Amino acid sequence: MGLELALSTILSPIVLFFVLGLVAALLRSQMTVPQAFAKGLAIYLMMAIGLKGGVEMSKATLSPDMLGIFTVAIILSFGMPVLAYACLRVLSKMKPLDAAATAGHYGSISIVTFVAATQALELSGIVASGYMVAVAALMETPAIISALMLANRGRKKGREVAGAEDGELMREVLLNASVVVLVGALAIGWITGETGMAKVSPFFVEPFQGVLCLFLLDMGLSAGRGLRQGWRDLDVGSLAFGIYMPIISALITTVICLGLGTSVGDAALLITLAASASYIAVPAAMRLALPKAEPSVYLTLSLGVTFPFNLTVGIPLYILLAQWAAG
Amino acid sequence: MTELYTKLRLELIIERPAAKRAGRVLAESGLMGYTVIPAMGGYGGNNTWQRGTDISSSQDMVVIVSIGDKEHMDKALEALGNLLGDHIGVLSVSDVQVLRPTLF
Repeated sequence: MGLELALSTILSPIVLFFVLGLVAALLRSQMTVPQAFAKGLAIYLMMAIGLKGGVEMSKATLSPDMLGIFTVAIILSFGMPVLAYACLRVLSKMKPLDAAATAGHYGSISIVTFVAATQALELSGIVASGYMVAVAALMETPAIISALMLANRGRKKGREVAGAEDGELMREVLLNASVVVLVGALAIGWITGETGMAKVSPFFVEPFQGVLCLFLLDMGLSAGRGLRQGWRDLDVGSLAFGIYMPIISALITTVICLGLGTSVGDAALLITLAASASYIAVPAAMRLALPKAEPSVYLTLSLGVTFPFNLTVGIPLYILLAQWAAG
Repeated sequence: MTELYTKLRLELIIERPAAKRAGRVLAESGLMGYTVIPAMGGYGGNNTWQRGTDISSSQDMVVIVSIGDKEHMDKALEALGNLLGDHIGVLSVSDVQVLRPTLF
């Protein structure tokens, strides 16, 4: 069962297109997906999963189970950066500021990893709750606040950065494109329900897999280029962190799911979210909040190491952990 | 022959996330305008970079060009020096000849 699941995930078109992009970039191919097009694809994917999640939520009522997962998700996003920071400081040569910025990425989530996990679950015939999209949205930002607290720990308040405006960081953190589109689409899906979804499904449901393939081809290119350019900035301890941190996060979340008594699908998605690392929302916030942290360090780790690991090895592993915890 | 007037031209290459901060500095310094141009790629600090290769766009660079007189430029340079203490960027100032001095 485990091997079958791993093979069906690894040999799915979405993962193979990702691998194609990754290999092409590592071989220095000139192939690119235009940035504006890639951003359009990302918005499309977030709208599609937000709508789908919202429609599912419209059929359910707010339950203690749901509130339990929401609470755990927020606690995980706040808490994981502390553990990640400790691991980086003890087991790698990473500087405190870079470690804090990197830790923020590992408390936040990768929505593409989440989408890939939902596809893997569908492939295995495992059902997950629609509200897990809301869980993903909830886990985007608390980690950024944790990372800033870690970075500012024991430091005197520095001078004001010229041109900085009150509230600009909170705008970036709370109103970044991922959060706005995901939460907005979730609300629209919840309001309009199945009737509304039926009207837009030819655009948001049928082409979804194909668009995901196209987006993952671009993600593969980004990951390969990041890895090729950024690996020199990382020592062995930091590179290893990109692999062991998602596993640690997954194991902790598995134990939590055991206590919560969640379904296999919900547990698999919560474990995947906890084990994933951000590479869209958090880097942009970190450039504003911690500009002296090295972007090549945290982006190489989250996009070049952890994302490929999660997509190929992690997701089947997390589904197995969920089956063990909830089965 | 057409009469031209000497002004200072500021060229700031800066990481995209800090571009709004730089824009505010220029406006607050009394400079009457600036233009932001996307930078395509480059090399510096032992790293090459290329626009459109980072999904978060947080590593993109932009070029901000502004023309003004010495008084406003001095104010801007002081604040931009502070900004570049935190953000990745390169700043240069040169003399230029302009046709319509009242615009600057």
